[in-house]
Amino acid sequence: MEIPESAVQERARSHADQTRADEDILAALVSQYAATLYRVAFSVLRNTSDAEDAVQETFLRVLRRREMLGEVRDQRVWLIRIVWNIVLDRKRRAKTRPETDDVADLARVLPADGLSAEARAVAAQHHAHVLGCLEQLPAKEREVLMLSAFEELSGVEIASVLNITESSVRSRLFRARNLMAGLLNHARQ
Amino acid sequence: MSDSNLREMQKTGAGAEETLRLIARIAVPEGLEDRVHARLLAEPRQARILAWPGSSGWMRSAAAAAIVFVVAGGGWSIYSRVQPGMPGRPIVVSPHVGAGGAFSEAGVVRRPLTLQGPVVKHTAANEKPKLAAKSTTPPSASPSLIVSKKSAAALASAPAQ
Repeated sequence: MEIPESAVQERARSHADQTRADEDILAALVSQYAATLYRVAFSVLRNTSDAEDAVQETFLRVLRRREMLGEVRDQRVWLIRIVWNIVLDRKRRAKTRPETDDVADLARVLPADGLSAEARAVAAQHHAHVLGCLEQLPAKEREVLMLSAFEELSGVEIASVLNITESSVRSRLFRARNLMAGLLNHARQ
Repeated sequence: MSDSNLREMQKTGAGAEETLRLIARIAVPEGLEDRVHARLLAEPRQARILAWPGSSGWMRSAAAAAIVFVVAGGGWSIYSRVQPGMPGRPIVVSPHVGAGGAFSEAGVVRRPLTLQGPVVKHTAANEKPKLAAKSTTPPSASPSLIVSKKSAAALASAPAQ
């Protein structure tokens, strides 16, 4: 069977149009959600360059699977889920990074308006201590607690990112807060 | 966050979630979106099939000729080493046949001892007198045929049917 040349050209044109449309959607996604994804990535990796790299990796994955863009219902949650998996994977691989890097990064990056230099150092140490306690939590509880800090994420969305039910999110969050309070009290005593 | 807030936070231990919230609101580095866009543009759009450096066909022909040359040369080198009519080299096998024409022991030094079988004793001659002493009945008479004298007489006097 011979395919007429006009049909081939039309198909190529429609394919090119589709590709252009997907790229436009992708560009819009970058503009809209790059900052959110960066914050999610930083909350896990606590390193600016690693977090940025994770964001870029996320959008590269989306580019490679751009034919799926039309099927995605909630693009924001979908993107957060992708970046979440990427950063967890990276963190698992790079477990040997010294904690001092985290403290130094936090001191430089976290907002410390109205603090003296000494107070800023104390604040950084305090944050590092809190994050140290956070690392002692079980992974399931820790992940829920970290995602709950993002105001733009509801319980349903956290459940969707972690692929669990909303009631599981609530129970894990309750356990995480109790465990965290216990750890901080123990450290203070 | 002021100095007093920080002190309060450390005292109460309520800063755990505050720390996480601070991280969740962290400032995004400048130019992040541009860098992501640039990286996406640098990514190849379509899967690339092995591209030839030159558009002319002579390179393709040369490469194909080289492949044919290598394959044919390899085949010829094998053929020239192994000829089909080559006589086989005889393999000498040392005989392993024993002196009596049986299988050899193949260098076995020690053989396990053969197990001693049960020894049959013929005790019938010794036991005969014992049996005779125990019972007066002749050995040929079976217990079912032994009858008392009275019943034998009754059997003899009974009319024949």
